[in-house]
Amino acid sequence: MPRLLPPSALPSATNDFSIMRPSQFIALGSCVAIGMAWVFLMQNWILLNIFPGLLVGPGLNLKDYLQTGSSPAFTVFWFGCITALLLWFSTTLTARPSSSRQVRQVQPLWWLASIGLVVFGLLCLSWFTIFRWQVTGTSPIEGNAVNFYPVPAGGWFLLIGFVLIDLIVLFWLPTVLATPRTYRFVVPGAVTLLGSR
Amino acid sequence: MKHIFAIGVGGTGAKCLEALVHLHACGLLSDPDGQPARLGVFLVEPDQQSALLARAQTAISRYETMQRAIGRGADYFARGELCNYGTWSPLATSSGAISLDQVFPKAVLRTQAPGVAALFDCLFPPEEQTADLDVGFRGRPPIGSAVMSRISLEKEAQVGQWQRMLVDIQTAAENSESTLIHLFGSVFGGTGASGVPTLGQLIKDWLTRQGRNSVKVQASLLLPYFDFEGAANEDTGVHAESRSFQLNTNAALQYLSSRGISCFDHVFLIGSDIKARYGFSIGGMSQSNAAHLVELLAALGLRHPTQNSNAYAHVLSRAQSQVVTWQDLPDDELVGNGLARGARFAVAWRHNFSREIDEAQKLSMRSFLSGAPWVRRFFSPHNSGGNHAGRPGIRDNTQLSIQSSINQYTDTLLQWLNQISSNVGSGFKQELFTPSLLAPADQLANNLHKIVQGKARPRRSENSDTVEAIKVAMDWLPEDQITHPGMAGLADCLWLLVA
Repeated sequence: MPRLLPPSALPSATNDFSIMRPSQFIALGSCVAIGMAWVFLMQNWILLNIFPGLLVGPGLNLKDYLQTGSSPAFTVFWFGCITALLLWFSTTLTARPSSSRQVRQVQPLWWLASIGLVVFGLLCLSWFTIFRWQVTGTSPIEGNAVNFYPVPAGGWFLLIGFVLIDLIVLFWLPTVLATPRTYRFVVPGAVTLLGSR
Repeated sequence: MKHIFAIGVGGTGAKCLEALVHLHACGLLSDPDGQPARLGVFLVEPDQQSALLARAQTAISRYETMQRAIGRGADYFARGELCNYGTWSPLATSSGAISLDQVFPKAVLRTQAPGVAALFDCLFPPEEQTADLDVGFRGRPPIGSAVMSRISLEKEAQVGQWQRMLVDIQTAAENSESTLIHLFGSVFGGTGASGVPTLGQLIKDWLTRQGRNSVKVQASLLLPYFDFEGAANEDTGVHAESRSFQLNTNAALQYLSSRGISCFDHVFLIGSDIKARYGFSIGGMSQSNAAHLVELLAALGLRHPTQNSNAYAHVLSRAQSQVVTWQDLPDDELVGNGLARGARFAVAWRHNFSREIDEAQKLSMRSFLSGAPWVRRFFSPHNSGGNHAGRPGIRDNTQLSIQSSINQYTDTLLQWLNQISSNVGSGFKQELFTPSLLAPADQLANNLHKIVQGKARPRRSENSDTVEAIKVAMDWLPEDQITHPGMAGLADCLWLLVA
């Protein structure tokens, strides 16, 4: 026997779902908090305590470099990621796609933002490690003639690795877990993580 | 369960049955407990080539096919059962005769009953005697009455469609307290004007003989609501004329006031002072008059509660002379919500969801899913096509045939809604639907807000009244609220969320 139509249960649901779900707000907040803890606390600790050998080069004081080189670079990068995140959420919250094709058309935008952020991260590192000192004509190391931080090749690889990890923590994770509306599976990996049930 | 047997007589009767099928699809024919009624439909029409008959048959068969395809796969959508008894021609009883002088063979009459032959000549001019009736009774009630009066229900009850329907009426009367026979037809044309009262009386007499007096016989009788544009040429022969409509109506109403009680327990009279304009047609395939709001109102007569009413004739008027709004419809709250739901569903399904399903056929499931998270609630998220947690593959042939049946029915519903909202007559307007949004469109529909006008429009902001918002709602609905997988489950869920 068919169930009777429950008039009171007839959603209004379409209104309730027009913004992000509470679970998405929680995921977004958690990701931002984890991202801050990672960038501002854990990352420096890891560089200082786990990989000091990779960054230390001739005449390079690791503590000085962390204070005036990598930390400011990653702080600016963090602001860049947060800005990209805000732009992503404002785009996906305000758009009204009528089809799945229109939703999928946003996927290149996500990739563009990610690639842009990687480039931005590398520029931040380069600026605070090299260009800043060359532009001002000063040396970051007291009593040394070189006007940049002489980070060894292994150190650069490590720093690039951290840029990628930061991108994952600060941009991919919050977008994959909290992208709203019909866009929520458009982020790479979202279908595998959330949609294969 | 409420049992309704609806009989459409003539072209207008067929159009009323078309409206009735759509009301049924919108869940508007139900018993007081909200349980969908079982609707039996039967068309009486001598003009077997009639485009109006074909349209009604299309609506009936498409709803029937959709309902059968969905089966028990939905709780709310297309729950109303429909039984199609088919089409019957009153000329079928006359051994293939297609003119009045063949129905009443004059040569035989002259030799065996010269007085009757003389009376026949007196009542019917030669052109009416020889006119081909395979295009209907040509707007002439006397021709129709002569043919219809030869029907013997006892004889018809032995075979064919009548037998099926009369047996079902008896069974329904035995098992259900609420059984209703409702006839539809015009009183200003030929077939309806002659057929509806005749069949009403035959059925009432038959019910009395069967001891089934609890079964009510009602009729929606349509008064003039359209005119013909253009005129017949010399070769047309006997044909319906607008100028005869009023005369035919007067005669029918006089008959009804004197003999009506022997034909019907209640009648619903509905017409329009502002006439729609239809191109002239003698009948057949060229008679493709668009659907009209008056036919919807006639069909709504069936919803009118008459159990505790002694009133015989019911009429309807509108509040403003130049406009019709939801408030002018009987039981406007429920009817408005039901029709609004139907219209919004049809647009959302046909102009969005169905096209999304088509798009899914061209892509890998993973790729499609990345833009359509809602789809995994009803279909397997994998390409393999097999069932996944009870959900079928989106390329499954059974599912695609359900989609096709829903597409076909929603096309019919949209065409009908478009016509009733655009075919209103000059200087007159309706504030029920926006016709342009019900027409076929290349663009995918997203905004549903303006499809329905006035008080039946759902109370939510325009910004959130979108197909996308429904997709989001589907994506997040709790498991226990999605009770059916597949295409039928998707349609069922959309039917719930679109209101």
